[in-house]
Formats: sequence, structure tokens, C-alpha cells
Amino acid sequence: MIRKLLIANRGEIAVRIIRACREMGIEAVAVYSEADKESLHTQLADEAICIGPGASAESYLNMERIISAAMVSGADAIHPGFGFLSENARFAQICEQCNITFVGPPSQVIQNLGNKQIARNTMEAAGVPVIPGSTEAILDAATGAREAARIGYPVIIKAALGGGGKGMRTAFSEKEFELAFLTAQKEAQIAFGDGTMYIEHFVEHPRHIEFQILADSQGNVVHLGERDCSIQRNHQKMIEESPSMAVSDELRKRMGEAAVKAAKAAHYVNAGTIEFLLEKTGKFYFMEMNTRIQVEHPVTEWVTGLDLVKEQLKIASGEPLSFSQEDIKLQGHAIECRINAENPWKNFRPSPGMITDLHLPGGQGIRVDTGIYSGYQIPPYYDSMLAKLIVHGKNREEAIAKMKSALGEMIIQGIDTNIDYQFEIMNDPDYQKGEFDIGFLESHQIGGVKVNEA
Amino acid sequence: MKLRYAFKRTIASSQTGEERQIKPEVPDGMLKKCNACKAAVFVDEVKKNDYICPHCGNYFRVHARRRIEMIVDEGTFEEWDKVMPASNPLSYKGYEDKLKKLQEKTGLNEAIVTGKGKIGGTEAVLGVCDSRFLMASMGENVGEKIARAVEKATEERLPVVLFACSGGARMQEGIVSLMQMAKTSAALKRHSDAGLLYVSVLTNPTTGGVTASFAMLGDIILAEPNALIGFAGPRVIEQTIRQKLPKGFQRSEFLLEHGFIDRIVERKDMKGILARILNMHCEVSLKSEDNELGKQVNTTESIENSIEDQVENVQETVVGNIAGNAVDNGTETWKKQVGSFEKKQINETKSAWEHVQLARSKERPTGKDYIPCLFDHFTELHGDRLFGDDPAMIGGIAYFNKRPVTVIIQEKGNGTKENIAHNFGMVSPEGYRKSLRLMKQAEKFKRPVICLVDTPGAFCGVEAEERGQGEAIARNLFEMSGLKVPVLSIVIGEGGSGGALALAVGDEVWMLENSIYSILSPEGFASILWKDSSKAKEAAQVMKLTAKDLKALGIVEQIIPEKMPFTRENMADTMNILKERIHNFLKSYTILDSEKLLNKRYNRYRNL
Repeated sequence: MIRKLLIANRGEIAVRIIRACREMGIEAVAVYSEADKESLHTQLADEAICIGPGASAESYLNMERIISAAMVSGADAIHPGFGFLSENARFAQICEQCNITFVGPPSQVIQNLGNKQIARNTMEAAGVPVIPGSTEAILDAATGAREAARIGYPVIIKAALGGGGKGMRTAFSEKEFELAFLTAQKEAQIAFGDGTMYIEHFVEHPRHIEFQILADSQGNVVHLGERDCSIQRNHQKMIEESPSMAVSDELRKRMGEAAVKAAKAAHYVNAGTIEFLLEKTGKFYFMEMNTRIQVEHPVTEWVTGLDLVKEQLKIASGEPLSFSQEDIKLQGHAIECRINAENPWKNFRPSPGMITDLHLPGGQGIRVDTGIYSGYQIPPYYDSMLAKLIVHGKNREEAIAKMKSALGEMIIQGIDTNIDYQFEIMNDPDYQKGEFDIGFLESHQIGGVKVNEA
Repeated sequence: MKLRYAFKRTIASSQTGEERQIKPEVPDGMLKKCNACKAAVFVDEVKKNDYICPHCGNYFRVHARRRIEMIVDEGTFEEWDKVMPASNPLSYKGYEDKLKKLQEKTGLNEAIVTGKGKIGGTEAVLGVCDSRFLMASMGENVGEKIARAVEKATEERLPVVLFACSGGARMQEGIVSLMQMAKTSAALKRHSDAGLLYVSVLTNPTTGGVTASFAMLGDIILAEPNALIGFAGPRVIEQTIRQKLPKGFQRSEFLLEHGFIDRIVERKDMKGILARILNMHCEVSLKSEDNELGKQVNTTESIENSIEDQVENVQETVVGNIAGNAVDNGTETWKKQVGSFEKKQINETKSAWEHVQLARSKERPTGKDYIPCLFDHFTELHGDRLFGDDPAMIGGIAYFNKRPVTVIIQEKGNGTKENIAHNFGMVSPEGYRKSLRLMKQAEKFKRPVICLVDTPGAFCGVEAEERGQGEAIARNLFEMSGLKVPVLSIVIGEGGSGGALALAVGDEVWMLENSIYSILSPEGFASILWKDSSKAKEAAQVMKLTAKDLKALGIVEQIIPEKMPFTRENMADTMNILKERIHNFLKSYTILDSEKLLNKRYNRYRNL
């Protein structure tokens, strides 16, 4: 079993992992940047090591310093959290070479799934439905246009190494194609240093449905049901829930089986997520597999009763899963709202600064995962997520009611947040009816806020 | 809030299960410390990054064999003198053992690897020092290997490329080491006298007896960024003069500024630049017709294309492409239009003063604007090898219609900031000496010389006099009159006095339609003869400084018509005419043998 775990992350996820460590009797080592000296994870951990200046590239992304910190502290494992180095195959490989347990899949698996083309080919071969798309890497617009015509419009152009909506453009006709391609490629070049693109059929008005899986190193794979993450802005998720209103028991069974097949085809180990696009027709397509713990994992934790981080640590220590697919029953309904330091009425402008007063909601079925506290100074270097508010009710109506109540009680002063915006979403009739797709925020102008299509 | 003191320690040290068998540890050779930024770096990342620190950009030293892999075309390297007899002239105690150990450790027989290989398709003799071997100091065997390699290059008529990196002469071999400086220099002198190219590449550190011999003798000297280059080591100098040395002292950038190296080349660009330089020096007869040159250069182009990827951020490359496009569009149509347009333009009469104003106009293209229009792959070379590098004078090698030529321009700069950087085109002695160095180089490699003249006059100042402005100009006139290759001078703006003439002792001198060429500025003329510089306008009228006047006087051969307005944005048409005429000039002058050429040039000035 892991004895001492270094958490190569910050913010609420670092805190979340430290808590799991405490419960399991594992010593937790935090790493922090100079800007995070007073952060909660730094203060809560058993040990904390400074790994450089505020800028991520010089601290949380600096592999040399993190590996050195692991050596200095005597940690035998590293949990990468999400973001930063969590899906960096090279980092996982270095951990392997240094005999440090990397809490995640083997580096080769990250490598293969991180390359969209390889991932897609693997899934296609395993019989997991994929969106019709280009089979070869595309480097120029002319080749792209030919492929687009073959696949059929509308198409979406994506960066092979992409993520987070960067290097991504849609084209609804041949006329729009060239500009869309060149823009996407330029973005990809800037963001990832690589202009390799691929093109696929654009699924109109889909829902974002993802399946959580757990796979142990003995080859057992189970899925923990779906999360509906359709409420998003610029491909960034804002609200997640489980189960999805659009997934029937029968569809869950089929999609879940596809997810397990996908994980097995990838030789996956540890916690992972298979993202699907679900069409109104009930057709679903594999989008990508995330090889890390996800922000929205508490939603699944609540409907399954499992602690995913603890499961991750057990799997990383070589233990087999203690349950099988039949044991997994989804109970009630869970919703998560991401609370961000941003002002939706000012084009979601980020709002760093000092949290002067803080009141967090509580009560039955209410959970807050956060790294903030009263008097906390939010550094300007990192993403704007402050907290995750997660509720659990016996059904969706109750969950929405709880979420409204909890949002109404949540007070964060000194900075701008999106709490009111989330509250407005909860009050939207279409949201309440469960009638939405990934274009929801663009089409609904919640609270009068215009959200432009990415 | 200091929460850390308030939190309870709740961790239960309930660890069960066996201790893990393999402790985490960083494997040997995975991490290395950068000696510049002191940060830990992954060795494989450094290797992938051409041995440059990914954090601070510091250049790590490169072993000889790895350097050869980076520079020489794969599979073409043939190593010479792999076995050398042991040398211990002083019978220095323990020296032979030390050498043996180093030979085992490095797999090298000495501190240099020599041989022959292709660089971007061009065959060359190569020598690469290896710092692991007694800091690549030069003893008998290093000197011997270099001398043999250079002699063989002379025999086979091949260029030589030496990558220097050395602490200097090898102390353990005493005076015999000192003699290697003379030996290597002598071998290079014979190679040079045979008209062959030697490119020296200085890497960190190049010092002592190596700097004072083969390293500094290149026809072209390149250096890696921030390399320590000097004769006496900085520590020795500090101790001797008891002063702290300034930052950057004896670094590549310092040497460039002081005129001792041609250019600093980043590691990723090194192969591309070397390949281009070697290709520009492939042996061709001066008299080659363009179509013959084409054969030669067809291979050049494919090489250029293949190295293009490697040479990023090399301005000349971009520049060359633009020129190509400009010329493709309509040289033919232009030929037709040129005739009528020339007549029309020249018949329009302007006052002399108007010409002066046009010649000095801020919108007027300056020398460096001509380069992409007229030439391909301009490769700038810096320094006079004596004192400095004058930014008012720009020189280098380029292709003109596939023929290598030496290009020398006087540069005023565009806009105040550039004007200041280029000293308003007022050339200092080191500028003239740089131009002369490059002209002599052109003569050695049988390249025509094309000079673009644009200066208000030679720089007038104390420093210029201290360094011999008059001598520098005189030397140019003296040497240019006897340069055994065609020389074409084109006045493109202001031809100010002796400062202009120092680039205008050519076989022909041309002027752009609105350029001027005179003994002095009209202001100066008025002030000397009439004691009133405000009468510049009248002075301009009587001085006969316009192209038309000078053609009538027989001072210039041709006037290049300007398509008005003649600006940076609108110069392509005029450049097409100029390009056509330069083409014809080269065609008729490169076929002359040097005696005829020199007599013709002599008489041109003799009769004025």
C-alpha cells in the first residue's frame, strides 16, 4: 500500500486528495508555488514543499522540481489530480522510471489515449461507435476540404493534441471550411505547438454524456453510470449531474457496456472517463477518454456511494476492485455546480482577489469541495474554479430544490462569482424539465447573459 | 489566517502490509544540473533540444561525435587518422597513463576528430574538438591531425570546417604544443593560397593558443551564442590588471561587436548556414554562363529547400523568397514597357535641388530594401577583423540569378531609430575595412562585387580620425582598382564625396534617376565657396550632381529610371529594370580575363 503520497496539484482537488489520505492513513505531501504559500492544501498537508514561482510552467508543470520534491520527501506515490501534469504521458513515464507509483493509468495508455487519432482507431477496432471522421492526420486545408466532403457537413475541425476547446472550429458548408480550418490550425499551433488536425462529422445538438469507469490492474473493469455534462460554456463544463434525464436504463446498459469495452481495449487501469456525444435519436458516439480523476467525480460518488479517490489509491497499490458491475446501483440524483471566481455579466471576466467573508451551505445531501477560506487571497495564475457545490436528493426535483437552497445560502464576498448565474440556471424551466443539450447556455441567455458559441 | 497551526493532526499511522521492495529513486543519468541556471533538467530533454537547457537556453558542450551527427549528412562521414602514435615530448610523468585513461573513457584517440563528409550535400573536410579530452587542448597529435586534414583538403580541393573548442596549447607537451600553432596556421595558409574556403566555428570555450592560431583564421568565422572566446583567460586578465571585467567580456557577442567574427549562429541553424556557405563556395569558373550555373545551383535549390526547415528565423531565407516572387511576376511584360517608360521619366525635368531632396527623402528605399528584390539567400557577414563592425556598411554573400556575388551596401536605416543604429549611413573606418575584407574575399573566391552607394559622406568625428578615416578610404581606392573580379557600383541615394567613392571604383558606376553624386553636400559647397550654407539650392544647380549631368560628364555609365513614387512599397518595377541590367553587366564582364578587366578599369579612371 502507498505510505506517503505527493499531491502534484493545488486547490480543492489537492484538498480532496489529502482528505482521502487522512482517512486511509497515508501521509500527504503537498507541493506549492510561491503564490500558494497560504493555500489550504499547503496548510492541510502533513508536509509541504515549495516548487517554484507562481507561474504554472515554473511550478506545477515543472516535472524536474516535482520529482525532486518526491525524492526529498520520501514519497512513494504521486497523485496528479486533474489539469497540470495529470494527462502528461511523459510525467507518468518518469514516475515509472523512478519507481514512484503514479496514481493513474500506465504512461503508454495515457500516450495512446492522448492522441485522438490513435484513441479513435482503438475504439473503432473494439466496436465502440465513433463519429465518422478523417482516418489520417490532416495538415492542410485542401486535403481537409476533401475529407469534409466525404464525411458530410456539418463538420468539426479539431487539433490532434487538443483539449479545452482550443484549436476547434465547426464548418457547416464547404464555403466556411477553409477559414475554419486555418483558424483552428493556427490556434492549435499556438496552444500545443502542433498543427496536426483531424475532422469529423459534427453532431448537432448533442448532449455530453460521460461514463465513469474503474479498472484494476487485474483486468476488472466496471462502469459507475453516467454524468450529464451538457451545461457548458466554450466547452468548459459548468453543471454536471447523474443520472442523465436522457439516458434510459436500457441505454445506460448499452453505453455502459461500450464504456467498459473502450476501457478494456485501451488496457486501462485506474479511474477514467469515457466521453460520449448523445444524439436526440439515441445514437451515441465515443468522443475521448480522460485518463484522470475528473472535476465532477463527486456526482458519481454520491449516486454510487463510492469514494473514487480512495478507489484510485487502492488500485494504484495493486488491490483488486472489491465490487463487481452487479453491485453498482445508482441511488437518487446528484447535481454539481462549479463555483467560479468570474463575472458572467461581464463576459465571465476572471475575478482574483481577497475573499473577505465566506459562508458555506450545509445540511443533509449537501457537499462543498473547496480550497478557499475566509481571508484567502486568490492568486491570479490559476483557473477560476473556487468550489464545487454538490447536492444529492432522492430524485431530480429534490436535487434541484436542494441546489437552489444551497446556492441561496452560499456567500462569498470580496470577489465576483457565478453563484447568481447558477441560481438562474436552476430556475430555468427547460433546465428543470431536463430539456437541454450542449448549446443550452448559448440558446437560453440565462439572466440576460449572452454566451457566444465557441 | 494561519490554519496550519489550528488543524488537528488526525492521521492514523495505521500502515499495514509489507514495506515496498524497490525504493523510489531517480535513475542515474536521468537528471542533470544546468551549470548556468542551476536547475535540474532531464538529460533526454536536453539532448532532444540540441544540448541546450530548456529552462535558460544555456548551451551545453557537445561531444565531437554527437556534433558530427548534428552537422554532417547521415552516413557520409569518413574518419581520418583514427590511430596516432603516443606523444610525450617532455616525458612528462603520468601523462601517457592519463591519455590512455581518457582514450578508454571517450573512445577517442585525441581531443579532435577529423575526417571528410557532406554537409547539406557539399563535401568538406571536418575537424571537431572534444572538450572531454584534456579540455581539447592542442598537443602534437591534435596539431598533426589538423595539419594532415588541411593538407588533404588542399590536395583534394575541398573546403575545411573546424569546430574549435579548446583551453589552448597542451601544457604537458610544452614547447612542442606551441609549435602546433605555427604548424596548423601554415597548413591553412597553403590551403588558402590554393583558393580554398575555410570556415571556423567557435564554440564555448575557445581560448589561448587555439584562438591564436587556427580558430581565428577562417575566411568565415562563425560562433555559437555566448561562447567564451579569447586569448588570455578572463581569470588571468583579472589577476593581472586587478580589475573586474565587464559582463559579456570575451563572449561571442563581444567579439561580433569588435569585428572578429562574421556571425553568431544558433545551434539549430548551424547545419543550414554551413551548408549554404559551402554551397556558395562550390568551385565554379567566374566565366560560367548562367545556364551552366543553373546546373550547379539546381542541386543548391533542392538543398536549400531541404535545409529551409532547419534554418528557422534566418531572415535571409524569407527575404529570398519574396525576391523570387517579385521577379517571377512579369519580368517579360516589363521588358516591353521599360522602353517607353524610361524615355518618359527621364525627359521630365526637375531642378537639381529637387533631385537632392528626392535623394534624401525619408520614403526612399535604402540599401537593405534592395537586397530581397535583387538577391536570393543573402548571408550577412560582419566585422573588419581589426576593431569593430560598422552598421553603416552591410556586407555579405548572396545569389544573383543563381550566381554567388558579394554584396556591399551603405545603409542609412529607415526611421529615426534605425537611422541612429546605422549612423545615418555615415561610414566609419571599420566599415570601409570590412568592405575591403569582403571584396578581397570575393576576389579569392572569384565572385563579382556589387556595391550600393548611399551615404551623406564618411563619418566625421574624433574616433574616425583616430582610426584613420583617410587611410581607410585611400586603401579602398587603391585595392579596388586592382580587384581581379568585376565590380559594379550603383549610387542609389546620396553619393557623398570620398565616403561614396570608396565603394565606387568599379568597372561601371550607375546611378538611380533621382540619386546624386558629388564632391560635397550642396550645403558644404555653398558654405566653402560662398560662405553661406543657405545657398544650397543654387549650389546644387551649379555642382552637376544629378544623374543626367554626371552621365553627360562620363562619370557614370547608366541611369536607372525610377517609377514614381519610388518608395519601399512601390519599388518592384524599378528593381526589375535594375535586375535586368545587372544581369547584362555580369554577362559581359565575367567573360573578360582579369588583365583586360583591370586595364579597362584603370583606363576608366585614368581618363577622367
